[in-house]
Amino acid sequence: MSNTIVFDNVSKFYGDVLGVNRVNLSIPPGITSLVGPNGSGKTTLMNLMTGLIRPSRGQIRILDMTPDQPEQLFRTVGYCSQFDSFPKGLTGYQFIYSYLLLFGYDPPLANELAWQAIDRVGLREAAHRKCGSYSKGMRQRIRLAQSLAHNPRVLILDEPLNGLDPLVRAETIALFRSFAKQGCHVLLSSHVLHEVDIISDQVILLSGGYVVAEGNIQGVRSEIEDHPMQILIRCDRPSVLASRLFGEDNVVEVRIHDDRRGLLVKTSNPNRFYLLMNRIALDGISIESVAPIDDDVNSVYGYLIGTEEAVR
Amino acid sequence: MAVYKRTYRGYSGAITPSWSRFLVLFRFSRETLFRSKVQTAFFVLCFFFPLLCLLGIYANAHLSVFSFLGRRSEPLLNINGQFFFTYLTVQSTLSFILAAFIGPGLVSPDLANGALTLYLCRPLSRTEYVLGKMSVLVIVLSWITWVPGLLLFAVQASLSGWQWLADNLWIATGIVWGSFIWILILSLLSLALSAWVKWRIAAGGLLLATFWVGAGFAQAINAVLRTKQGYLLDVGNLVAAIWHGLFRDGVNMGFSVTEAWIALLAFCGFCLLLLMRKVKANEVIR
Repeated sequence: MSNTIVFDNVSKFYGDVLGVNRVNLSIPPGITSLVGPNGSGKTTLMNLMTGLIRPSRGQIRILDMTPDQPEQLFRTVGYCSQFDSFPKGLTGYQFIYSYLLLFGYDPPLANELAWQAIDRVGLREAAHRKCGSYSKGMRQRIRLAQSLAHNPRVLILDEPLNGLDPLVRAETIALFRSFAKQGCHVLLSSHVLHEVDIISDQVILLSGGYVVAEGNIQGVRSEIEDHPMQILIRCDRPSVLASRLFGEDNVVEVRIHDDRRGLLVKTSNPNRFYLLMNRIALDGISIESVAPIDDDVNSVYGYLIGTEEAVR
Repeated sequence: MAVYKRTYRGYSGAITPSWSRFLVLFRFSRETLFRSKVQTAFFVLCFFFPLLCLLGIYANAHLSVFSFLGRRSEPLLNINGQFFFTYLTVQSTLSFILAAFIGPGLVSPDLANGALTLYLCRPLSRTEYVLGKMSVLVIVLSWITWVPGLLLFAVQASLSGWQWLADNLWIATGIVWGSFIWILILSLLSLALSAWVKWRIAAGGLLLATFWVGAGFAQAINAVLRTKQGYLLDVGNLVAAIWHGLFRDGVNMGFSVTEAWIALLAFCGFCLLLLMRKVKANEVIR
């Protein structure tokens, strides 16, 4: 059985409105983040993966299953939507338990799984309170619990970290990592780019219904040739190093750092630049560190889609 | 890309049959059903008339009880198709009011709370969702229509003997089919209105209006066009026409039973169309 989620030339139109267009993806296990501004197609992609909507064109295969096999597919997929969606009047426990019965588990097993999920998100004490009385963070946690209660292999989470306090946020991220470590897929969308950077094994950048970039973020960054890579060099003699670098054709810009203990360099060919730095280090300039400063999700997002403010 | 060990093991034990999943929805709707005291009181009230009928049937079979009143041993009631037709008419009116209480609260809260997505990203189809919600009305309305009706029939049969049972078995068929038709129409209409009108009271009012306004409209058409075909727009009359056929009382409603069936099927199809247009898992925010 294939271990990937495959989108094969998938398009989704809502009448004349474009949802996503010509999406080709092969998503391996691990934590994958969907990043893009509002209306970029993140939720559409998630709904397509969960079989809630059908593609207008193309095919989707979730670990070799199609959305036409709901009985198998929904056992494999757990979905946490970004909206408050609770059937009226249910307590947190009833919410998890009743939905587990829909999977066909018998009542004792559903009860056991419900409590396991509630414990995983730390809501045991509030489990018998009505969902309507929960705080925003608690609602987010109980939604998360319902998505993972049946122990899915593919966890699809629409903005799962919204409304969580820092401690719960850290615990939730650890939970995602534990899922990924088992070889499961965790697909999440988030607007908090620095968090995406920390959590994700790979990112999918979306804009206007198109996939703009996908893969490991450093790999994506290295392919953006319009924007020279920015590198911060910490050294003992920045002005000497700067004069040396000016002569190199792959160096686009050199600027002495504000604290005068390093240089900010823009290079059009990072690989050649790193080889050059090896030679310079041998020439006697003491170099403490060389680190790229724009190979994170935030920078890549800014280069490909716009500023971080545009995300909101 | 991190390297992960594949230690995941999914559940591989026994599961309940997929056809029975819709009953989970009934199970949880049932709990909220009788939270309203008015609703519960009305449900209890719905058993008053069947009880009265039961007493009537019993008294009819034990006329000697009334000998001290100087009555001759003539039957008090004629227990026949007409008796059960009257029973069904009364109970269906009560079930109509009960459906107006219960029906509007079945789908609209799920739509208002965006809970449909959660139902439908599980092994539950839209049809099963509708079936699950419908089962609430079907089961509750059955308790006050054909279930006590069949009990009354059974009591009468036990008191009158096998011959009466053999001669009047069509009455039992009439009770069951007549009730089912009525329940199906009420359920579909209630759910369709519940899906389109989110305000519960308005949906309940609209259910009542559908019947009364339909009846008024039918009368108007009949008066203007000097015909009786206008009754085809009156759902109550359509059901009555089928019941008259089932209870063999020879009443002519101005149109044939076949026409009534066709009109009712069209009405049910329209309700289903309304329902399925709303029961969707789309969750696209722009």
